[in-house]
Amino acid sequence: MRRAIVVTMVVVGFVLQATAFLFLAAPLGIPTEVRYSDPRLPFAPVIFILGVVLVFSAALVYELVPDRGASDG
Amino acid sequence: MATHNATLSRQARRSPSAWHLVVAVLVALVVLGIYAYAHELSEGMAVTGLRNIGPMGGATWGLYITFVVYFVGLSFAGISTAALIRLARIDRLRPISRMAELLTVVALVLAGLAIIADLGQPLRGIVNLLRYARPQSPFFGTFTLVISGYLFASLVYLYLDGRRDAWLTEQTAERHRGFYRFWAAGYRDTPAERERHDRATFWLAIAIVPLLITAHSTLGFVFGLQVGRPGWFSALQAPSFVILAGVSGLGMLAMIVAAVRRRQHREEELGVEIFKWLSTALVILVLSYLYLVVVELLTNLYTGSSRERDVMSELLFGDYAWIYWGAIGCFVGALVLLIFRVALPNLRGAVWPVVVAGALVNLGAIGKRYLIVVPSQTKGTLLPYDEGSYTPAWTEFALVIGLISLGVLSYMLFTRYFPIVEHPQPEPAEREEAQ
Repeated sequence: MRRAIVVTMVVVGFVLQATAFLFLAAPLGIPTEVRYSDPRLPFAPVIFILGVVLVFSAALVYELVPDRGASDG
Repeated sequence: MATHNATLSRQARRSPSAWHLVVAVLVALVVLGIYAYAHELSEGMAVTGLRNIGPMGGATWGLYITFVVYFVGLSFAGISTAALIRLARIDRLRPISRMAELLTVVALVLAGLAIIADLGQPLRGIVNLLRYARPQSPFFGTFTLVISGYLFASLVYLYLDGRRDAWLTEQTAERHRGFYRFWAAGYRDTPAERERHDRATFWLAIAIVPLLITAHSTLGFVFGLQVGRPGWFSALQAPSFVILAGVSGLGMLAMIVAAVRRRQHREEELGVEIFKWLSTALVILVLSYLYLVVVELLTNLYTGSSRERDVMSELLFGDYAWIYWGAIGCFVGALVLLIFRVALPNLRGAVWPVVVAGALVNLGAIGKRYLIVVPSQTKGTLLPYDEGSYTPAWTEFALVIGLISLGVLSYMLFTRYFPIVEHPQPEPAEREEAQ
């Protein structure tokens, strides 16, 4: 169960980063128009950062959450 | 374990007046920094030496950004060393692992505070950064990724790596047991927990390395990608930033290790081998950095545009020459000292040359960071403006001194109440016996 949560957190974290970077932030490309300057979704950078935080939080869950059934409890 | 915890409790019990005196001085300097910031916040950025580039003949980035770059640089070597120790399993360096992790956390917090100090309206700056920042922009990589992701990752690393020592300290601590219990969070040092911890920190170290390379390279890109700014536009900025970060960080780490060694009488654990490793790494990095300096110098003087040569002339012979040659002198001086340490029999194995070299490279790094940030703004304009100038005001000096004091104070308090040297892992035979 613990491993499943950790893997989910890592995957969701990377997905959030990729989504924010590629689809929610300002479009990639040569900035010829104003739309290249502003994010498509306001606060898209926060989603990117949340993704980074989620990936590293997985380490906390991995170590702190007890694994039921394991010898160390 | 008993000896280790006894040392810590002895330290916590003792109240040497020298320690309290240093803390009092540091607190006074932090208060001075807070006063300077309050003054800046109420009167506006006009109380600093910062002015607009061009018409106002000034520099918009000055001492604060110099120290942002410097602090972020310090953090680089801290977490790099900790990750390297973990990934390459360099067991003889394990005693300095936590010092390196703490250096990263403290330096990143100071960098974040220095950025806030540079903003006329900090709240607006922070909100707009989160609202409009472009993840493709080097600014995002630096000011957002570094201060949030990188700091968070380093905190997680420091926390998880300290659980075992928190648990060990809790066993014998006379005071603050709740704090140690909270940090240990149920850790019992079972073989399964140790294995899980090793696995978690191994993957954390792997995940942090690309993050820190990205963060530090983008800091170089903030300057290096500005095509219209002679003195900044260079492909060498990113690698130079990374290498100088390593130089200053390792130098700082050498000073910290020596201070802990002396203060806590840990001559055995923090042996000469550690200083030998730091010294060798420092020599390689300083040589690499000086090589990049020479390459940049030759390129700009030989084929650079007239504006590029103007900025370079200012650095070499103009208003900034004393800082430039002072910084180069510091790097060369450190190099000579470290080579003498190996070559001269009476210096072989001595700790002080590494400490002095560490101090020298840090002075040199601050000088070089200042030269990266300021001259290009005052002397490197492509538009037909007169040359500008920048002299930091007392508020800037006071705030930077306050920040440095805050960093030293945080470090001192941490080392007083928490084991800064990781307790050695039990040998396999001991583990079996414990089981």
